[in-house]
Amino acid sequence: MSSTQQALAFGRAIPATRLTRQKWRGGLQGSEFAWAMAFVVPYVAIFLAFVIYPIGYGLWLGSEPALYSELFSDPIYLSTVTNTLLYVGIGVNLKMFLAFLLSGFFMRKRWWVKTVLVIYILPWAIPSLPAFTSIHWMLNGNWGFLNSALYELFNIDGPIWLNDRGLGMTSNIAAYIWKNMPFWTVIFLAGRMAIPQELYEAAEVDGASGLRRFYHVTLPLMANLYLVSTLLSTIWSLGEFNAVFFVTGGGPAMSTEVLATLGIRHAFTMGEPRLGVATVMSALPVLIPIVIILMRRLRKAEVQL
Amino acid sequence: MKYVSRRSVICASAGLAATSALSRPYIANAQAKTITFWVGQGFVKQEDAALKKTIDDYEKASGNKIDYSIIPFGPLNQKIVSALTSGDVPDLFFQDAPTTILPQAAWGDKLVDMTDVVKTQESKLSDTAKLSASFQNSKTKQRTYYLAPIKQAATPFHIWGDLVEKAGFKMADAPDTWDAFWDFFKPMQKVLREKGMRKLFAQGVSLTTVGPNDGNNLFYHFVIANGGQGVVTPDGKLHADDPKVREAFIRSVDYLTTSYKQGYVPADVLSWSDSDNNNGFHQKLFIMDFDGTISTELAMIDNKKAYYEESVTWGLPNGNDGKPMPGQTGAGGGYIPKGAKNIEVAKDFMKFFMQPQMMNENLKGGLGRWFPAIPALIEEDPFWLDPSDPHRAPYIKIALGPMIPQFNAFNPAWGQVNAEQLWGRAEADVIKNGMTPEQAIDKAFKRAQVIFERFSFD
Amino acid sequence: MSLALPAGRTTGRTKRRPNYRLRSALVETVCLAFAAVLVIWSLLPVYNMVLIALSEHSAVFSGEIFPWDPSFHSFYVVLTQGFWYLERFWHQFGNSFFIGLMTMFLTLLVGTLASFTIGRMRIRHGWLLTNAALLTYVIPASFLAIPFYRIMQNYGLSNNPWSVIAAMVTFATPYAIFIFQQYGKSIPLELDESARIDGASPPQVYFRIYLPLMAPSLVAVGTYALLLAWNEYLYQFLLLSSKNSMTVSVALAQFMNSDEAPWNYMMATAITYAIPPIVIYYAFRRHMAAGLTMGGVKG
Repeated sequence: MSSTQQALAFGRAIPATRLTRQKWRGGLQGSEFAWAMAFVVPYVAIFLAFVIYPIGYGLWLGSEPALYSELFSDPIYLSTVTNTLLYVGIGVNLKMFLAFLLSGFFMRKRWWVKTVLVIYILPWAIPSLPAFTSIHWMLNGNWGFLNSALYELFNIDGPIWLNDRGLGMTSNIAAYIWKNMPFWTVIFLAGRMAIPQELYEAAEVDGASGLRRFYHVTLPLMANLYLVSTLLSTIWSLGEFNAVFFVTGGGPAMSTEVLATLGIRHAFTMGEPRLGVATVMSALPVLIPIVIILMRRLRKAEVQL
Repeated sequence: MKYVSRRSVICASAGLAATSALSRPYIANAQAKTITFWVGQGFVKQEDAALKKTIDDYEKASGNKIDYSIIPFGPLNQKIVSALTSGDVPDLFFQDAPTTILPQAAWGDKLVDMTDVVKTQESKLSDTAKLSASFQNSKTKQRTYYLAPIKQAATPFHIWGDLVEKAGFKMADAPDTWDAFWDFFKPMQKVLREKGMRKLFAQGVSLTTVGPNDGNNLFYHFVIANGGQGVVTPDGKLHADDPKVREAFIRSVDYLTTSYKQGYVPADVLSWSDSDNNNGFHQKLFIMDFDGTISTELAMIDNKKAYYEESVTWGLPNGNDGKPMPGQTGAGGGYIPKGAKNIEVAKDFMKFFMQPQMMNENLKGGLGRWFPAIPALIEEDPFWLDPSDPHRAPYIKIALGPMIPQFNAFNPAWGQVNAEQLWGRAEADVIKNGMTPEQAIDKAFKRAQVIFERFSFD
Repeated sequence: MSLALPAGRTTGRTKRRPNYRLRSALVETVCLAFAAVLVIWSLLPVYNMVLIALSEHSAVFSGEIFPWDPSFHSFYVVLTQGFWYLERFWHQFGNSFFIGLMTMFLTLLVGTLASFTIGRMRIRHGWLLTNAALLTYVIPASFLAIPFYRIMQNYGLSNNPWSVIAAMVTFATPYAIFIFQQYGKSIPLELDESARIDGASPPQVYFRIYLPLMAPSLVAVGTYALLLAWNEYLYQFLLLSSKNSMTVSVALAQFMNSDEAPWNYMMATAITYAIPPIVIYYAFRRHMAAGLTMGGVKG
């Protein structure tokens, strides 16, 4: 093996990195610079055309202070915030954790593991509206599939799932995880596949057991991906309304509403879109720190190899 | 058409033609224009087909073209709000039940005044149609017509007659006051469960905060039956302090939540979406429910047995004071946003549509789910009270009785009250949070007063 | 003391642990049991959908837990466009394909180009672009619908599938850039460097080294972009009005409108509609080879 390849095999050899950085530090020359600009132009164009104006307009829509006093005086607002914190806090973290574990499971080389993967990503592929509506019907306390199955198979009288705030929140979170976990599993799976086999083999040569290998090889290399994914998913889940909207509809008595569904209700049912935007923007105090951490993480990702 | 004999159509048309102008457009065919038109999708395909015919007739008569998009009613709300907010609007909106958006938009001065359109048929329109087509504008501080009303609906009872008989009762014995009528069905539950229908319930009441407006509609009829319709008066004021109104609201919440607690209502009505109600009814999981229009039955129209023999449509009994109670209705039709490019043509189309025979033909094509905003049509055209159809006549008879408009016709604040589902939440407060009906109603009215304060008419 | 191991043997061991076979069998059984749980979890709501699709009268609350009397009538109706909501099913299916595939392609293209430039070519202030991209997510997509509606009118793209594609690409690309950057971290820069020394131009590095090594993340992100566009209905019905330009996910929303309760058709449509993305994912999955292949680098 050449020295370069050896360096590659261990992935983290610093000297080579420093060499590279010095070479590129002086800025790209001539034609390379032109190429770089050409490559980056498509995204910049998209950004200018389709991000600046909508985000600006959206922020403007939610910028009137009177909206916020109206929002905070709504008695439903406080419970909605609590629900959102639970929904996002538990939903995202549990989902990510399980997705991470499952990505390990799906690395196994068995024919049936591959088949299970195809079945597993089915929830991701099915459109939200019918899928969540199916869950809503399934959870009907008297006539739904779940309770019928529990009764026929195990002779248990299941609870009225959607009648209770706690069970309703649990159902929403479970539905959310059900639909979104496969996607993150696939992302983590791709991440795991990037880990060079040589690292595992070298660790094994050094006598590390399975768990040790996970701890010393997999975890450090996946850590940043995991963190970035969690943060992004948190941001996204703040705006995710399909699960709650179709599974519990915010019921019973709007006790399982989250900011996203409340915002949609304001915007489209009450016909007050500015209030709707204000509803989701009231999450900015939580959102901004997350965005800042994410920015730092992404920037760090470039400096470190 | 299956339901009306050709002869009766000809007779009706002849009669109407004699009394009204010929169907032709109101402006001369100067220069053919195209308008963009967004219309809500019908609940059965015949409604869409009838609409297409109306549009085709107009295009032939006037030479103008209509570029129409049929959009499901949920998404239509969202599209209309987006259009009105962003300012990029089509020429004409048409909704069957524009309950919240229309009053709000009118209040915000976003709509075109439709007085000239409505005036063409004003004398013929029902009072509720006129009241439901005019709204207060916060900028002009005036109330004026913003909707060209075409269709109206009522709320009947939907009952499985065969289940009633199976339980050993007869609909003919049903009492004729409101609460007693509802109570009539309660003992049937026990009998039917003993006969093996394990999961059957007596009353399928939507005590829900989910879905368009079912829960609210049900609740308001209870309020009316208890004499509380003075809660909002035509001057737009909320009368939450009126003891009669308060009493009516409390009694309504009391009845519904008691029914629930007694076990006559399926437990998850609190989270029912619109489809749950219909699914439950179609699968005979409860004996009766109270829901707008006869679409529930029309959906079963291909099932002859269910349509003609088993299901029963029942009108409104008397209120709890023994006197006839009015039903509540809104109006659906066309309205034009400000900024539309072809206002004159859009108005012309609505004038055309509002002509009695066009209105009648269109609504008959829709299987009679909606009835015309012109009551004379109901009386003159035998289609509407056709005895051979077991559902249409009882439904239409409600329209011929006393009717009052929906409360948000008087003040757009009520639209927000609807959207915030105050009454569904009050019901849940009693059922789940241990409040008394008085406490729950007080809490709801307190919130309603805050909402009304934002919509000051001065 | 290290033995030369054949490539790809992940579970080979140099020293046999005691009770190897027993442990292995135990692990295998646990895995199988776990897989069974996973399958049940994933399929439960889908099973409910299938039950409804196979029922003759859309019996959603029938209480039956097994389709004793399955009727494939609803699938037949979907495939033959035999229901009024499904009249243009195949045309709308085609629209879905067009919008979905274009979104996937453009997202991958723009995303890889941008992350290549930022992460590999290291343009100065590249981090600025990454941060700016993050701005896209500050307001949830559902609430940006109204602004998007407005600008598409301004750009003259109303009722045009390209407006939807543009919106979907706008939302998918920042995410793509982040994932590509994360993933690209594990591909050493020395590869690019040695290629440059060999005289390769940036496009050559991009095509010959970067893209092939990024294959697993391309599959993952590509499927993500495809499904984002495939299953999106808010933007599609907002930005598209005519029946001809609608997609199947918008058509599915129509079913909620009806008191006819045609749930068996709706579920049959949904199930049929979910199959292509899975097939596409599975087809490309073969390219997600485990481990870093060194095929593109010599010496």
